Amino acid sequence: MTAPLEVSNVKKTYTSPKLGAVDAVKGVSFEIRPGEIYGLLGPNGAGKTTLISMITTLENPSEGDIKVFGESTQTNSAFTKKQIGVVPQEIVTQGFFNLVEILQFHSGYYGVWNNKERIDYLLKRLGLWEHKHKLVKQLSGGMKRRLMIAKALVHKPKLLLLDEPTAGVDLELRTSLWEFVRDLQKEGISILLTTHYLQEAEALCERVGIISKGSLVFNGETQGIIRKLTRRTVEMDLKSIPNWTLPEGVQLLGQRENRVTFSTPSEMSVGALLAGLSIPSDLLLDLKTREGSLEEAFLNVVQKGASL
Amino acid sequence: MIGFLSLFHREIARFLKVLVQTIVTPAVSSALYLLVFGVSLGSTVQSQNGVDYLAFLIPGLMMMGLLNNAFQNSSSSIVNSKYTGELEDLRVVPLSHHQIIIAMGLAAMVRGLVVALVTFVVGSVFYAIVHGGFIGLHSVFELIYFIVTGGLVFGMLGLSAAFYAKSFDQLSAVSAFILLPLTYLGGVFISIQNLSPFWQKVSTLNPLLYFINGLRHAILGVSDIPIGQSMLISALGLVMFYVLSLFALKRGNFHRW
Ligand SMILES: Nc1ncnc2c1ncn2[C@@H]1O[C@H](COP(=O)(O)OP(=O)(O)OP(=O)(O)O)[C@@H](O)[C@H]1O
Ligand SMILES: [Mg+2]
Repeated sequence: MTAPLEVSNVKKTYTSPKLGAVDAVKGVSFEIRPGEIYGLLGPNGAGKTTLISMITTLENPSEGDIKVFGESTQTNSAFTKKQIGVVPQEIVTQGFFNLVEILQFHSGYYGVWNNKERIDYLLKRLGLWEHKHKLVKQLSGGMKRRLMIAKALVHKPKLLLLDEPTAGVDLELRTSLWEFVRDLQKEGISILLTTHYLQEAEALCERVGIISKGSLVFNGETQGIIRKLTRRTVEMDLKSIPNWTLPEGVQLLGQRENRVTFSTPSEMSVGALLAGLSIPSDLLLDLKTREGSLEEAFLNVVQKGASL
Repeated sequence: MIGFLSLFHREIARFLKVLVQTIVTPAVSSALYLLVFGVSLGSTVQSQNGVDYLAFLIPGLMMMGLLNNAFQNSSSSIVNSKYTGELEDLRVVPLSHHQIIIAMGLAAMVRGLVVALVTFVVGSVFYAIVHGGFIGLHSVFELIYFIVTGGLVFGMLGLSAAFYAKSFDQLSAVSAFILLPLTYLGGVFISIQNLSPFWQKVSTLNPLLYFINGLRHAILGVSDIPIGQSMLISALGLVMFYVLSLFALKRGNFHRW
C-alpha cells in the first residue's frame, strides 16, 4: 500500500524584502503509514505550519518533493488536493454565510453536490447542530475550531492534516475530540497532527516527529522516544538502609530517612536495580515507579539538545 | 464542473446577501443620472450621434454600471477573502485556476448584468414618459456580446487587481484614479465627435470607449466606433485579461493580510 504521505528532503526558504531569507524548513523527510496518527511536535516557529502549507500546496517547497498516496503535490495537485482535508491553525472566518452554507459550498469545491447527510452528521457529531444557522462570528472560539474540523471532513478525505486542532478547546471537548480522532482513524483515515499538548500526542500518536528550528531531530515510535530520552524514577521504602554501591547508570536522587529515590535508565528492570543495589527483598516495604513522559523527552530534545 | 458551479453559486449568493450595496445603490445612482441628465437636461442638450440625449445616455449608463459592478464584485470578493482567510481555502481545494477565473468572472458579469438591466428598465420608462414609445433594440446578438465581454473583462480585471493589491487602499486607488476617469471619459455622457481631433485620437486609447460604443450600437444602432472594431477590441480584452488573471493566480499569493 502506498504511503498516505511521503515528505522527502523538503526545504522552504521564505524571502521577503524586509526580512531577507528565512529558512523555515531545512531538509525534512518523514512518512505517514496507512491508517496511523502521526504527531508533528515542535516549539513555536519550528516550521510545522510551513510543512503543512507545503502539503496542501498553499506554499511551494523550495526544494524536495511531497507525495500524497504516491502522487506528487507539485505535478498532480488535482489528485492530491482531493485526498487531503486540512484544519488550518488560523480560523477562517466567513462573513456572509451560515455554517450549513459554508459546508455546502465547501463540499461543492470538492465535487460533492448534495452532501446534506454528511454535513448533518458532522454538525451533530461535532456539537454544532444547534448553531448551524449562525454566522462564524457568532460562534465561540472552540465552536469555530470545530467548524474548521467539519469543513476539513466534508469530502471524506483519506489524509487529514490537523494543525493544532485542540488549541482553545475546553477540557471536556478535548477528550471528545480525541475520541473523534480515534474514530476517524478506525475508518481508515491517516492523520497528521501538530499540537503543543504533549499528553495529546502521547495519547493519540503511534509515532511522532520532533521538529526544531526547521530540522527534524527525531522521528519514530512515541514509546521509543520516551524510553530513549527519559529515565524511570523508582522510589523505595526500606526497613533500613544497607550499604550499596550504585550500579552503572543509576543515580540517587534523594534520601529522607528510610525513603530513597533513584533515577534509572528506562530499559533497566526493577529486578535488575534491586539486584544491582543488593537489596534483599525482606528489607523492601514499598516500591513505586514512574515512567518518563513524552513531555520530558520533548524537553530533553528541544531544550537540552539531547540526541539519540 | 460541480466545483466550478459551487464557486459560481457562492459568488452570486455573496452579492445577493448584500443586495442593497451591490444592486440597489448602483441602480439608484444610474436612475439619478438618467433623471438629472437625461430627463431634466435632455431637452436642452443637443442630440448625440443623431439620437435624442436621453436615449443616448441609456446604453452608456448601462455599460458604466455593468463594468463598475463587475469590477467591484470580483475585487471585493477577493479582498474580503484575504481578510477572512477564505482565499487560503480557495488555494487548498481542488479548483483549477481556469475554474476560479471563469466562475468569478461570470458571477461578476451577472451582477453587472442585473445593474445594467435595471438601468435599462428605468431608462425605458423615463423614455416612454418623455417621448412615448419604446427606445428599441438594434441587435440582440451585439447586446449579449458586449454584456458578456464587458462583464467578464472587468470581472477578471477586478480579480487580478485584488490579487496584486497589497492593501485595500491600493485597490481603491485603481478604482478611483484609473477606472472612474476612464469611464467618464469613455463616451458615457457625450459622443467623442464633440471633441477636437486631437482628443478624439486620445480617447481611442481608452478601452472603455469600445464597450460603451459597442453597447450603444447594440441598442440604438449608432456608435463613434465601427462596430467591428469594438467587437475586435472587446475580444482582445477578453483574451488579455484572461491571461492576466491566470498570471495573477499563479504568481499572486493566497495569504491573509
Ligand atoms: N510567510 C512567511 N514569511 C516569512 N517567514 C515566515 C512566513 N511564515 C512563517 N515564517 C517563519 O517560518 C518559521 C516557521 O513558522 P511556522 O509557522 O511554520 O512555525 P510553527 O512550527 O507552525 O509554529 P507555531 O507552533 O507557533 O504554530 C518561523 O520562523 C516564521 O517566522
Ligand atoms: Mg503553526
